[in-house]
Amino acid sequence: MDFDDTPDEAAWRAEVRAFLTEHREELGASSGARAFDNEVSRRRQALLYDAGYVGVTWPLEAGGRGGTPMQQAIIDQEMARLGIPGLINLIGIGMCGPTVIVHGSDEQKSRYLQRLLRADDVWCQLFSEPASGSDLAALRTKAVQDGDGNWHITGQKVWTTLAHLSDYGILLTRTDPDVAKHRGLTMFVVDMKDPGVTVRPLKQMSGGADFNEVFFDDVVIPDTERLGEVGDGWRVALTTLMSERFSLGGSGTEIGPGFEAAARHIGSRIGDLPAERQALVRQELGRSYVASLGGRYTGYRQLSKISKGEFPGPEASAGKLTGTRTARALADLAVRVQGADAAYASAADGTALWQNLQAVLPGMAIAGGTNEVLRNIIGERVLGLPAEPRADKNVTFKEGLG
Amino acid sequence: MNFDLDDEQRDLAAAARDFLADAAAPANAREALDSGARGAVPPGRDELVKSGFATITIAESAGGGGGTLLDLAVVAEQAGRVLAGPSLVTYARAAELFAESPTQLEALAGGGLALAVVDAGSPVLDAIGADTFVALRDGDIVCGAGTVTEREPIDPTRGLADVAVAPDASPVPGGPDRWARAERVGRVILAAEGLGAASRALEIGVEYAKERHAFGRAIGSYQAVKHMLVDVYVEVEQLRSLVWWAAWAADNAPAELPLAAAAAKAAAATTLERAAETLIQVHGGIGFTWEHDAHLYWRRAKVDRFLLGDDVAAFDEVARIAMEGAR
Repeated sequence: MDFDDTPDEAAWRAEVRAFLTEHREELGASSGARAFDNEVSRRRQALLYDAGYVGVTWPLEAGGRGGTPMQQAIIDQEMARLGIPGLINLIGIGMCGPTVIVHGSDEQKSRYLQRLLRADDVWCQLFSEPASGSDLAALRTKAVQDGDGNWHITGQKVWTTLAHLSDYGILLTRTDPDVAKHRGLTMFVVDMKDPGVTVRPLKQMSGGADFNEVFFDDVVIPDTERLGEVGDGWRVALTTLMSERFSLGGSGTEIGPGFEAAARHIGSRIGDLPAERQALVRQELGRSYVASLGGRYTGYRQLSKISKGEFPGPEASAGKLTGTRTARALADLAVRVQGADAAYASAADGTALWQNLQAVLPGMAIAGGTNEVLRNIIGERVLGLPAEPRADKNVTFKEGLG
Repeated sequence: MNFDLDDEQRDLAAAARDFLADAAAPANAREALDSGARGAVPPGRDELVKSGFATITIAESAGGGGGTLLDLAVVAEQAGRVLAGPSLVTYARAAELFAESPTQLEALAGGGLALAVVDAGSPVLDAIGADTFVALRDGDIVCGAGTVTEREPIDPTRGLADVAVAPDASPVPGGPDRWARAERVGRVILAAEGLGAASRALEIGVEYAKERHAFGRAIGSYQAVKHMLVDVYVEVEQLRSLVWWAAWAADNAPAELPLAAAAAKAAAATTLERAAETLIQVHGGIGFTWEHDAHLYWRRAKVDRFLLGDDVAAFDEVARIAMEGAR
């Protein structure tokens, strides 16, 4: 047992660190910016791609470098260590690209993939709808094929991260309402600049606006932009979602500014509180800190698997489940210790880090798989507990609408 | 990064599991409660020492196994699963406390010493049946006889009693630093035993949730039951990570041991409590009967949380170190 890099990993880390350190200003280190600036963020990703540090695990023919997940994990760690913001095209790299790699035509691969890695094109994932969130297969956006073979898309997507900046998206649609709901789906690549696509930003409770509603009003997509077979969209979507879990889980990175930063902040304020309050704060901090350490070292176990070339299993879902919970508890405590400032959106000295985080974190327990869905995944696929019976079994989508 | 057990440690765990499956069982705890017997439950001191498992961390020169604390933690997890007695905590602490006391160490490794470690103001683990006591007195580590006052136990597997160490107990080499390190090492092994007990409690609960049907389906299919068990699973795996880290730190990164040991101790206390209470809840009516094993794990949880400092003290220590380290 050890926590050290192998010689290969150490050499890679040194190379990555040297590059990131040299270019840290250009890459936006400590700029504090959370929101994505369209042009600046794209330039940062292109700089990293041209140096060979984006899409490391992708095959060479897809524009990647055929590297290992551990190499990617080391890049993630080093970027986090230097405070370099995440890539604008994270969803493209983690979800859309892998789906094109597995299900796209050669023509699609050569047209899209390298440009995606450089952020020449930004991608979004058009899955969720007003009537289908966790129950994704209940989606209603309709695709109908005309006599020329083109598909006409009508419907609405929602919670689409970065749609307002995106050039392309992967779009899951219903092509047959008269079969079971998982069977009548088909996946496409859609050009977000096509006529009939309307993107409307949604303001979140935190005040940020990272995600959107997207409306499709008779948008025409050629059949050559289909991903996978007609009616096989559910299987294609599973490729996307599996890739998401892999890109989110196990990298050993943490949510928010990190629990050590929270402890530092709480430590700087605790002396202002009466003694009996201090004891309570230490109990709460202790509990969240232990849970954070538990999450970190469990992440290291997954990272060790990755280092051996294994893939993390469904147990990786636990990291997000507990990570959001402890981050919420710590952010709450970090606000609470501010005394009279705690009820305002920023402290008297103008800092709003913890207040802002407090408003962001409730959404983290929903985005990318709700806590409840994650618990079902762990319960059914790790513990082997039976699935909940479903009312939508053995009925067509149309019948299911009742 | 290679944060995982190696093949030798996995083999060690399997061997310990085989030995303990024959030598101990949770039912022994119920029998001890029924009979009022206040001695150690199986396998007992003699068998544990004879097996070589108890003395893993004692130097080979003193007749021990010369292994790492992680090796002992792997065994302690298995001991926790079957609620074995006495605790390996005492052997782990003794190996540290007697590092420069070869006579005592050899006696312990040879099975000639029935030892208990006395924490001031606290019930003493495995005091019942002990003939030799070690304590910290005025900055010295002392070793000698003691007077044991038995009380009615919650968990009969822990051999708790009040102990007054004899005034003529004699000093052995070492002082407060050694005592503190030994206590932390003890916390790691206590957490490892808690890990075993909690993970076994989870297994029993999951098995039952798959078998037991209500309203026409297995109760484990209901999210209310499933999510309760998942929360335990997640805590158990995080506890496993903390135990491994703390045990590794004891031998490889002593500066990390205070935080890691306090975190493992605190996590073990809360995780075992949650696992045992969930085990009872999932079983419904049978879950709170005397005949079911659930309460035996619950008893372990309700007592272990107070050993080697309680969970409140451990969380407080974590917070203090966290704020100190972050400064």
